[in-house]
Amino acid sequence: MSSDVRFTDFKSDKQPTWCPGCGDFGTMNGMMKALANTGNDPDNTFVVAGIGCSGKIGTYMHSYALHGVHGRALPVGTGVKMARPDIEVMVAGGDGDGYSIGAGHFVHAVRRNVDMTYVVMDNRIYGLTKGQASPTSRSDFETSTTPEGPKQPPVNPLALALASGASFIAQSFSSDAMRHAEIIEKAIEHDGFGFVNVFSPCVTFNDVDTYDYFRDNLVDLQDEDHDPNDYEAAKGVILDSDKEYQGVMYQNENSVPYHEEHGVTEDMSEIPDGAPDDAMDLVREFY
Amino acid sequence: MAEDLNWAVGGEAGDGIDSTGKIFAQALSRAGRHVFTSKDFASRIRGGYTSYKIRTSVDQVQSVVDRLDILVALTQRTIDENLDELHEGSAIIYDGERSWEAEIPDEMTAVDVPLKSLAEEAGGAIMRNIVALGAACEITGFDVEYLDEALEKRFGGKGSKIVENNKEAARVGQEYVRENYDLDHLGYNIETTDNDYVLLNGNEAIGMGALAAGCRFYAGYPITPATSIMEYLTGRIDDYGGHVVQAEDELSAINMALGAARSGARSMTATSGAGIDLMTETFGLVATSETPLVITDVQRSGPSTGMPTKQEQGDLNMALYGGHGEVPRFVVAPTSITECFWKTVEAFNLAEKYQTPVFLVSDLAMSVTEQTFPPEAFDMDEVEIDRGKLVDEDEVDEWLDAQGHFRAHAVTEDGVSPRAIPGTTDAAHMSTGLEHDELGRRTEEEDERVHQVDKRYRKVETAREQEDWDYREFGNADAENLIISWGSNEGALVEALDYLEDDGIDVRVISVPYIYPRPDLTEEIEAADDTIVVECNATGQFADVIERDVLTRVKRINKYTGVRFKADELADAITEKLSEEVPA
Repeated sequence: MSSDVRFTDFKSDKQPTWCPGCGDFGTMNGMMKALANTGNDPDNTFVVAGIGCSGKIGTYMHSYALHGVHGRALPVGTGVKMARPDIEVMVAGGDGDGYSIGAGHFVHAVRRNVDMTYVVMDNRIYGLTKGQASPTSRSDFETSTTPEGPKQPPVNPLALALASGASFIAQSFSSDAMRHAEIIEKAIEHDGFGFVNVFSPCVTFNDVDTYDYFRDNLVDLQDEDHDPNDYEAAKGVILDSDKEYQGVMYQNENSVPYHEEHGVTEDMSEIPDGAPDDAMDLVREFY
Repeated sequence: MAEDLNWAVGGEAGDGIDSTGKIFAQALSRAGRHVFTSKDFASRIRGGYTSYKIRTSVDQVQSVVDRLDILVALTQRTIDENLDELHEGSAIIYDGERSWEAEIPDEMTAVDVPLKSLAEEAGGAIMRNIVALGAACEITGFDVEYLDEALEKRFGGKGSKIVENNKEAARVGQEYVRENYDLDHLGYNIETTDNDYVLLNGNEAIGMGALAAGCRFYAGYPITPATSIMEYLTGRIDDYGGHVVQAEDELSAINMALGAARSGARSMTATSGAGIDLMTETFGLVATSETPLVITDVQRSGPSTGMPTKQEQGDLNMALYGGHGEVPRFVVAPTSITECFWKTVEAFNLAEKYQTPVFLVSDLAMSVTEQTFPPEAFDMDEVEIDRGKLVDEDEVDEWLDAQGHFRAHAVTEDGVSPRAIPGTTDAAHMSTGLEHDELGRRTEEEDERVHQVDKRYRKVETAREQEDWDYREFGNADAENLIISWGSNEGALVEALDYLEDDGIDVRVISVPYIYPRPDLTEEIEAADDTIVVECNATGQFADVIERDVLTRVKRINKYTGVRFKADELADAITEKLSEEVPA
């Protein structure tokens, strides 16, 4: 069936309630295109999301999906992949969901190198709660809860991923549709944890990190002769706080995903009608 | 009743107390004797008093008693801690060469064995505990060859040299006592049988039940006393194509388990007190998204960090009411080690049949207690698997709406919807913790909300009708005095019956393994003159529930010292309670 799948097959008939102009439209379209282009279909795809504007994505897409609690989408995705290595798992979240409440899970999902794609819609603000500072907000960004700015440096999610031992780190811009979809596609095809931070502007509450700002400032790594397999080069780009980049920063081509490393290959949904044939051996162990 | 022997080893954590006790328990089990063990340990890795007690008989034993016949004391504190249980005929094995001078009450038999020197003679000081076990065999006239079998089981994997050295250590301990003391086995005649028993604890039984039931995924975070479930499953579950993940915290553990369950795997997590608090956030999501999941809580003393290594049954209210909003759940509480196995199997079936989280509530006393059973008590042929309304590709059509959407939360008469797992063609759907419609999509529409809430609770009503929410019963069914218990108190209660009988007190004991739904005990309570609810908590959480069900007051016996009930102590408490007025 996969060869006939179009990206619109991943679209549900629910109209998004995102604000007109929201970056999440572009982010989601790119995800759907990438899923279709990599030969997936809605019946073999599982999308997990948490809370916030980003969390609504499971409703607007068509696939198996779980809309969970705030910050915990990555563990859910891990469980899905463990039980069903045959299923394509995509986890979506926002900067608050992933780098604040879910920061602990982020570090561990990265270091486990579970074979799934993690897309973070980074708009550098809390949108759904109407405009508070997020972990990626600039230190002087004035919001309802930080009238003088957060006065603390923003989290660098790419550096956090690198320090946690990531095997694939990328960044994209939701309105650069072709490049964004292409980058997500690379993340899906990566054997391991494919992490993509997506600049997904909030047109309602963030008047600093706007479409214009990213259009004017974004440097595309494919124009820079950047080699994603070069760890040192990746480090340089990721730690460069003067520029905003898009593209694949780092990819470990020798990456072995968690389920292969741990020999988890079976479809766990299949079980016998009763206890396993040799189950009395489990009892005899206690002789 | 056959002759009982009560034996204990005590010392500092790190002295190998646990393995010493386990080896002796194994030896007794190999000799066809029944064994019941209990452990007392502190929340630290080295140092701090720790002990391992064994009660053994040819009859089944299922409780500890206030009596100690043989004590292996590695420190003075071991003797001091157990003074009230030692009696005139007790023998105390100690090492007079150690720096402390043992103070042993005059009337007891002091058996000074140079444990360390003799162990060194046999091949290494580390075996001093085995020397003590050899000495214990000689004192009681227990055939040391059974100890050999236990040593082979324990050290077989480490090579024959280690096994031989340990056997030798047991021999020198035995000979030392034979040559230096004239004890004539203190009058003991340790009877043996040809029976083959298995020896296991409650957590091992839960792990084994999970494997028998087809559990393939387990995620957990280490916490006393639940960790040994994870330790049991690690490695073994892989043999069946499953996997254990040690998560970064309990929030992650339950969410991983949820992900695996939604993908069609029978999935479980286990934790204790503080961990259950963390899991409560996701518990509501599991229930609302109608995901089958088994959540095991091995209770310990709370609140907060409480007493992490001590017994309590204080989480019942949490299991019944934990989580915001109103969500259906099942709460099942095994009453014995065999029930730990069978109720785990049942928990997986309930979870999948009703697409609801199941709290499997155990407690510390059960989790660390080892007990002997005939292997048929865990007859794997009796294990039944019921996966409920799991639809395959051919059945999907029946559940599609006019637009071809799969109705994953279809409002049905019995409250149970069809369940399609990823990969099922044309059944892709989303699930959410938000209130949702039949398709799993968010809704705040008033009627829809009511339909979904009612539908979820209707599952419980269906289960109430379809399943047997029965209880176990002991004693005299016609007795005027009724004792109600839940969890691990059952064994002590059953043995308390013997003591009560000696005093001419007739009681009926009801042990309830189902907390929600639970059997209706109205008739039983109305038929009784006196009803006493026995539990290890301060406020009587189960008694509260019973009182509300039956609309009458009951008497309560509550123990919350951190130590489980003992049979003789319980008999005394019941006798005393029966003479009291029923509370107004």
